[in-house]
Amino acid sequence: MTGTGVLQLVGVVAGYRRSQVLHGVDLEVAAGGVTALLGANGAGKTTTLRAISGMVWRRGTITFDGRDLSRLRPDQVARLGIAHVPQGRGTLARLSTAENLMVGALRRRRDSSGVRADLQACFDLFPPLAQRRDAVAGSLSGGEQQMLAIGRALMSRPRLLLLDEPSLGLAPRVTQEMFRVLRDLRAERGLTMLLVEQSVGVALDIADTAVVLETGRVTLRGPAAELAGVDEVRRAYLGS
Amino acid sequence: MRRHRRWFTGAVLAGGIIVLAVFPLNSTPYTNYQIALVATYAVAILGLNLVSGYAGQISLGQSAFFGLGGYCSAIATVKAGWPLPASFLLACALPAAVGLVVAIPAVRLRGHGLAIFTLALPLIGVALAKRYADLTGGSEGLGARISQAPAWTGLDRDQWTYYVVLAIAGALFLLARNMVNGRLGRALSTIRENEVVAVSMGISPQKYKALAFALAAAFGGAAGWLYVYTIGFVSPVEMEFLLSINLLAMMIVGGMGSVLGSLLGGVMYVYIPVLAGTVDPVRTTLLYGAILLLVLFFAPGGIARTIRRLRDRLRDWLAERRRGSGPPPTAAATADNDAVPAAIQHR
Amino acid sequence: MTVRAVQQVIDGLASGSIYGALALALVLAHRATGVVNFAQGQMAVVSTFFAWSFVQAGLGVIPAVVLTVAASLLFGAAVERVAMRRFERESPMIAIVATVGLLLLLNGMSSLIWGYELKAFPPAFSSGTLRAGGAVVSITALGTFLVLVAVVLLLYALMMRTRLGLALRAVADNPDSSALSGLPVGHLLMVGWGLAAGLGAIAGCLVAPKLYLDPNMLAGVLVYALAAAVLGGFDSPLGAVVAAWIIGVSENLAATYIGFIGNDLRISVPLLLTVLVLLFRPQGLFGRREVVRV
Repeated sequence: MTGTGVLQLVGVVAGYRRSQVLHGVDLEVAAGGVTALLGANGAGKTTTLRAISGMVWRRGTITFDGRDLSRLRPDQVARLGIAHVPQGRGTLARLSTAENLMVGALRRRRDSSGVRADLQACFDLFPPLAQRRDAVAGSLSGGEQQMLAIGRALMSRPRLLLLDEPSLGLAPRVTQEMFRVLRDLRAERGLTMLLVEQSVGVALDIADTAVVLETGRVTLRGPAAELAGVDEVRRAYLGS
Repeated sequence: MRRHRRWFTGAVLAGGIIVLAVFPLNSTPYTNYQIALVATYAVAILGLNLVSGYAGQISLGQSAFFGLGGYCSAIATVKAGWPLPASFLLACALPAAVGLVVAIPAVRLRGHGLAIFTLALPLIGVALAKRYADLTGGSEGLGARISQAPAWTGLDRDQWTYYVVLAIAGALFLLARNMVNGRLGRALSTIRENEVVAVSMGISPQKYKALAFALAAAFGGAAGWLYVYTIGFVSPVEMEFLLSINLLAMMIVGGMGSVLGSLLGGVMYVYIPVLAGTVDPVRTTLLYGAILLLVLFFAPGGIARTIRRLRDRLRDWLAERRRGSGPPPTAAATADNDAVPAAIQHR
Repeated sequence: MTVRAVQQVIDGLASGSIYGALALALVLAHRATGVVNFAQGQMAVVSTFFAWSFVQAGLGVIPAVVLTVAASLLFGAAVERVAMRRFERESPMIAIVATVGLLLLLNGMSSLIWGYELKAFPPAFSSGTLRAGGAVVSITALGTFLVLVAVVLLLYALMMRTRLGLALRAVADNPDSSALSGLPVGHLLMVGWGLAAGLGAIAGCLVAPKLYLDPNMLAGVLVYALAAAVLGGFDSPLGAVVAAWIIGVSENLAATYIGFIGNDLRISVPLLLTVLVLLFRPQGLFGRREVVRV
């Protein structure tokens, strides 16, 4: 695969302690693009994101803007401008809502006014969070924690956003609003996104490109619009 | 294959027993007493293993029961004139009772609470021993030369002590082994893996943890009795907190959650200072700590598990040779008595 | 009689301050890595020995203590990295046993390097007393109490009002998420243990003049500190300190007024207290009942 893609995976194998989940994944996300990563449960979508972030063992080529990620720790990957909204939300349960968001911005040392502005923007985007800004984050509802996770990721002003099932637990209206904001951010800041979603419709709605994973390999890729009706996509989800 | 193994194990055991039985007749009194001490501390560590290794409840108070058993033995025999079997029973029963009383509230505490609670036992024990000096001899301790070789055996005192202590320790080890293989062991391992599952199976974690604790105390007390039988003396030092920690350390080094490991722990406890050529308690402490850390880093299952792994590998290698060409069998699932606790398997 | 009781309370607050300093160290180390560090007292003793050596070399008490605290920050960080990192994600039992191993090792090393004869340690405060409405307050007791209050305030400011504090709390709460937010988790764990060791050094230097310095000096204090940490609800620094004061005062009062307990069985007081409280309130006095929605 050639191209000046921002994020590139070539022949990536990855897995957990004793099991290998990815068996050679090739993937490219162009700068400012939104790629949806689709597939049934267990296909390796989450593992792919975790491989990029360095949370699981991996081999192969993983580059971001030409920089090799394959040997970096998760915090080093994050510091390159890659924000990962994990499955399960990863809430910092004993900190307050506002503190959770501030943790996302901890690496932005010299930009306190920018951070404050972004904090407010987060609260504007997710009003329920504003209402519970001082509450202990662990007491938030599932949907609120999802918003919090996305907000925390955005607070770091990332260049690449990895989203693992962001719409889980969110009301459809909130999901739409969130994706609208993400699309705006993409326009404003050239934010690139790799999006894992179970719900195909939502994903293909926002994405330009879609990639389908089946048992750790890419079986289909192409423009999102084209893939929307393709049988193989349906098959990938429902099994043959 | 299994019959093979049992025959082999039986032969080894029989051989071992014969060696042990003949050994003291040809060795020095010093060595005989030393081996008796190994057995003594092995029993104490065995008790500790029941509550810490199998039940997963860290206990820092084993020395309190050890000392209590020792004092029971000395006081009952010397001061109250009780016959030896009676004092032995007391040395097991009283610590068990104390252990049960302490355990009932203690097991309701979450992990840390129990550890701290057990920490208090040696401290309180030492204070009480020093306070009631008329009974216990205070800081100076109590002499109690209670072992006496009967004339008809023709044995020397050290040899007789050796046989008695090893016989009792052996019986206690067998008892423990049976408990661990039976319902108690299974209940404890269920509890240790997942308390919620245990409850759903009708196993009460608190009841079994308290039981394990009481048993640990009983074994500790028995070990204390054996100690007095061997050494003929007891003092507050036998209850000290440092002994608790050293026992815990050697339990891990020998092998947590393993009957064999308890024995190895006893061996290590006595022979580390001997091999290092020192009686200095300072250097001994240093060595225990260093060896414990080394074992944790490189062989967290303790020596027992390393031995087992070597034995498995040896067996596989032998089986492969016998088989000639062909795929080697997978490591035989050893339905061993000494289950490696889940705690160790994590890494 | 009342004056005597007040005196006991004041003394109790002073000894409670020592327990509190070590308890704070325990809580900090635990919050950072989830490990109950049974070697915390021994580490503090090693720090105090270093302070003693500095004084022997000619340094004044206060400069020696300051230098020691600074060195202890590094010492704690090193211990975490070298000895504890391996065991942090293991079962709690293994981690605790590792700290026990560390305890033995440090105990042996201290005896080897400095010997086990009692050593006199110069006090940081003058030995005068103040009179306050009939009760006599030693300057040392007052000073100890104030030092702990100052430490608590500083720690609060650090944890709640600085970026470093937020980072430390984040890592303590959820190391994986913190890493994904770009926080260098390993370094922050080291900072946590470094702070804990520094606190331990303060505790050791404060109590050494009274207890005399030897390798086992803090063994008893460790028990009180553990009880205080547990009573306070292991993850609450403020809880640990308040519990420590309560323990100090109650053991003093019990030792004086309850004949059976006397001086040698005072240790039973904090433990009974702790057990009683935990039976009715398992999360400790100030701990939080974990309410985490999944």
